[in-house]
Parts: sequence; C-alpha cells; structure tokens
Amino acid sequence: MDDLDLRRRTYGHMVGHGRAPRPEELGDPAEVLAGWRRLHDAHALVLNPATDEIRMLNPFSVVPTAYRVHARDRWWYANCAWDALGVCAALHADGRIETSCPDCGEPIALEVRGRQPDDDSLLFHVLVPAAHWWDDIVFT
Amino acid sequence: MNLFRSEEHIARWLGGREPGATTSVATLCELAHAWWDDRVSPEWQPHTREQNQAILDRLGLTGPFWQLA
Repeated sequence: MDDLDLRRRTYGHMVGHGRAPRPEELGDPAEVLAGWRRLHDAHALVLNPATDEIRMLNPFSVVPTAYRVHARDRWWYANCAWDALGVCAALHADGRIETSCPDCGEPIALEVRGRQPDDDSLLFHVLVPAAHWWDDIVFT
Repeated sequence: MNLFRSEEHIARWLGGREPGATTSVATLCELAHAWWDDRVSPEWQPHTREQNQAILDRLGLTGPFWQLA
C-alpha cells in the first residue's frame, strides 16, 4: 500500500463512517502509522504529535471544534470557517454550518445550497498570512 | 480563520492585533469549492503550490498576505 493509497483509504473511512480510522482498521498498524507520519510531513493529513492519532483530515476535523457542518445526513466537525465550507465542497453536498461569532458569541448559521451561501452579510477573516499557515496549522 | 457578523466584530475581536485579510462569505465559498472539491476523490493528487496559488489569484486574493511562500 503506497502513501496515496493509504491516504485514499483513510479519507474513504472518514467519509463512510463519520470518524477517522484506527491504524489496525487499515492494515498492519506499524506500517499504517509510518505512512500517516509521511503524509503528515507532506501536509496531506495532520497527526496529534503526542499520540500519533489523526487530528485533521482537512477539511474535516477529527476532534470537536467550533465549526459543525451538517451534510449528507451527518454532522461533521471542520477545522475553521474555510474548512466548514470545504466539507460541503469535498462531499459535493449542500449543508448547514453552525458556529458562533468569535467576538460576541452569538450563534451563526449558514446554509450552502447549490454551492451558494444563503447569508452574504457574513465576513471571513484570516489572521495568519498564507506563507505561515503551516507553521502551526492548529492555530491557523 | 473565522466567520464574523461585521467589520466591527472583527475589529473588536482583534483588539490591538494586526488585522489579517477579510473577504466576503461568497468569496470564501468559491475558495472552499476550488480548494477542497477533489479532496475525497479516489483520483486525488496533491496540489502543487502553483496550483493553489492560482486558485487564490483567480479569486482576487493577491498581494503579500496571500503568497503561499
């Protein structure tokens, strides 16, 4: 199993089951972990460095976040606003994004239908310049 | 990378920090589809930096802030 195939099977498990796989669900655990580490280094997924568990299968988050997305009859977590819309894009599905304004804490809900958002009044802010996104991808 | 209700909310959230970049949610939606559309496809291949930069450029996300490297 080469790394692209491992990545394909990892994402396939996420989309099919709504959760990231454990290494033993994809093959020999040591081989899978070694492959995930190479994919992490190539920015093709993000591991928790302390545990080697998958943290991000961008745009999906494996851990709970402030961005929840309902698409394809399931709730997903996304890593940020960009990724929340990315979940709909990756699944080729309409969806509903729920989060809250980081300033005032008021709920924000956004529907995406036919690749179009239903609320044009919202703004997207990126704090970190693009050249530094991967310096600390969890913060970004 | 967050959604806000208005510029006023962004400014208050930033406090004294240097602002980053702000776009409409419509631009974000286009960006998300261009960036992530192929992500779960079995035929997915890694995007090159040039491909990703071209996506940003096409949406008018240009200038030093949006330079990937």
